[in-house]
Amino acid sequence: MAVAALSTSRLTKDYGGGHGLFDLDLVIHPQQVFGYLGPNGAGKTTTIRCVMGMIRPTSGSAHVFGIDCMRDAVEVKKRVGYLPGDIPQFGGMTGKEIVAYFGRMRGGVDPKRVSGLCDRFDLDLGRRFREYSSGNKQKLGIVLAFMHAPDLLILDEPTSGLDPLNQQEFYRLLREERDSGATVFLSFADGSDIPEKAMRRAEGVTDVNVDDRIVTCTVHGSFAPLLDALHGAEVTNLVSREPSLEEMFLEYYRERSELPLLP
Amino acid sequence: MSFLYSLRLTRWGIAGFSALAFALTLLQSIGFYQIVGHTPAERAAFGRSMAQLAAQFTVLIAAPIRPDTVGGYVQWRAYSFFAILFAIWALVSAYGAARGDEERGLVEQVLATGTARTDALVTRVLGFAAGCVVAVTVAALGVEAGVSGAHESIGIDSLAGVSVNLLGLALCCYALTMLVCQFAASRYATAASAIVLLGLFLLNSLSRQLDQLSAWRWLSPFRYYDLSQPLAPGGTFDVRGVEALFGSAAVMTVVAAVAFSYRDVGSPLVRIPVAPHHVLREPDRNPVWRVPVLRGLYERRAGLAVWTIGVALLGVLMVILTKNIVEPLLGLAQLRPYFNLFITSGIYPSFLGFIWFGFAQLLIAGYAIAQVARWSAEDTDGRLEAVLSNPISRRGVLIERATVVMIGALVVAAASGVAVGIESHAQSIDLNQGRLISASLLLVPMAMFFAAIGALLVSLLPRATVGLLGGFAFVSYFIVQLAPIFHWPSWTQDLSAFHLYGQPLSSGVDITGLVIMLIVAAVGFAVSALLMERRDVGA
Repeated sequence: MAVAALSTSRLTKDYGGGHGLFDLDLVIHPQQVFGYLGPNGAGKTTTIRCVMGMIRPTSGSAHVFGIDCMRDAVEVKKRVGYLPGDIPQFGGMTGKEIVAYFGRMRGGVDPKRVSGLCDRFDLDLGRRFREYSSGNKQKLGIVLAFMHAPDLLILDEPTSGLDPLNQQEFYRLLREERDSGATVFLSFADGSDIPEKAMRRAEGVTDVNVDDRIVTCTVHGSFAPLLDALHGAEVTNLVSREPSLEEMFLEYYRERSELPLLP
Repeated sequence: MSFLYSLRLTRWGIAGFSALAFALTLLQSIGFYQIVGHTPAERAAFGRSMAQLAAQFTVLIAAPIRPDTVGGYVQWRAYSFFAILFAIWALVSAYGAARGDEERGLVEQVLATGTARTDALVTRVLGFAAGCVVAVTVAALGVEAGVSGAHESIGIDSLAGVSVNLLGLALCCYALTMLVCQFAASRYATAASAIVLLGLFLLNSLSRQLDQLSAWRWLSPFRYYDLSQPLAPGGTFDVRGVEALFGSAAVMTVVAAVAFSYRDVGSPLVRIPVAPHHVLREPDRNPVWRVPVLRGLYERRAGLAVWTIGVALLGVLMVILTKNIVEPLLGLAQLRPYFNLFITSGIYPSFLGFIWFGFAQLLIAGYAIAQVARWSAEDTDGRLEAVLSNPISRRGVLIERATVVMIGALVVAAASGVAVGIESHAQSIDLNQGRLISASLLLVPMAMFFAAIGALLVSLLPRATVGLLGGFAFVSYFIVQLAPIFHWPSWTQDLSAFHLYGQPLSSGVDITGLVIMLIVAAVGFAVSALLMERRDVGA
């Protein structure tokens, strides 16, 4: 039987007063994309920080690919890419310095992969961290987590601060990583938009909008990925129509804008 | 923004500067009675020596009036220094209010509540003014406490005058910094304000020596501060000078408020267009990022350069001033027992060894504390977590930190040692080269001593670390400097970390002290490594 990519056994972190994480048993198999849902204060970040060895569990254990997360924290981190819930404050360092600092510290980072990630998210590494918008800080965090092509990605609220197009790009990247063998563990604060998130991740589905209980989207090509994404959701009505002339116009210009600009 | 909230934001500044002002006025007034002598002749001789000494420093601070009296002495020794101290407080506080709070998003939150921009800015000025009133009052109480201990008194009108004068100067510096911050980009605002304030300070102080500058000194608020010396008998309280300080503070506050109303939050009033920028997608190729300790030093390169150059320049300045300071002081019979405590061989080497290397210890402790403050900040702002998400052990992080501090301290100590050696040769002060090297290198274990205690405190009390360590360094310094003057018992000197350093320039290395420093550093880092392994990051 293959060893679990991530497992916890009765993992507990007791902050007192009933706060913390209690007796968590979890098994995530290799190449699985595991969404970890819960409201604020449910213990998602506590779980992640225990697995990353940042905080010591009160009891229980956590393992990554069979390696003890506390005892062999360094070995664990060789195989993990981590995006914290709050991006660290790097002050006046430039993006390229931050990536070089952590890339050299870790070793084995391919600059071409970094360039590819920056291209995908349109991230300029020449700017200082303090000049980045919150979305660009999040993109930098994503680059730091993915740059060494890790076996396991641990991502705490990864789409926080990203615009819809970058969210789609992020989910596309996740699919590629999973297809190339990585396991993904990602947390979300709120489960109410999960069908929406699943739809955003679905192939050929764009322009996902949620208005109370009505979700609209645009499907390019087959409906199968959309229907897969809605599996398990309570769908009361499904309406489909052909695109209007205006929508075709907008779609055309969006595709044009993704092409490189002429000199 | 409420006035009370504005006060809350400056509470640590108020507490710290009030305590410092009280300690300085109290020590200067008590110290005066310790060294002035008992007979009118001794007092007159003391006054002459102080006037002679002050004449060497008029390029920095105004000449005293009647330094043979407690009022004149405290006005000169404490309140002249307060001009610099309160200007620095005003600079730091005004930058925090004008731009620092913007970077933290606090200003946007305040403005989102419907508070007018002018109200927000004026409230911060009033908050600082209230804090300053507390600090100058506490400083006056320090004078009163010191003087009443000797059964003398200083008129309440003199104390009120000197306090109002200091308050006016602080408010003027605060408003000026507020104004400069409206026009400078956030990352340059502190430097721009500091340059303006330093320029105005030097304009006034240098105009005492350079006649061509005297026509321009009306521009400097420090000029109006100097016009009043109400503590000294026969000194004056210049009403027009004080009015000029408060008036210019009010005008600059209004102009700053108007500028704040017209600029974008987070940007200066006049924005310089950004030059076309080539988008970068690749990591930095500088090879220093590969080498564990080198990357830490490289990341701190600007700070290390400032510390190295600053300490070396101060060392050179102290060597230049040594003869000018020592000559007038040696003429005072009442100071001879004090000099006898540390003069073992040559007068000037002994003086440099005690005064300069005593101060250099405080500076190197300050360097170590600055590094410890960075460790504490890295823990709270997530950088330590980012480092530990890489395959590097906590022990490895600690070893790298310690090595970076050690090499940084070595660079600072070596540069200052070389600078002092070269300048002392130029000043014909004969220093033993071997002992100068020992005295300079001995600053490194002193830095490690403070860094190790800091590493321990960061694991136990991260938020209080800098305050506790800074307090320990200051108390250690004052114990070594003041215990001989006040005839404190010898065991009090054992409480000072700097007692371990000894007098290496005049008496050679104190092996016992060195061994204790090394043991404390080794044990401190070893225990902090254990604590680091066990504690939660960010907690």
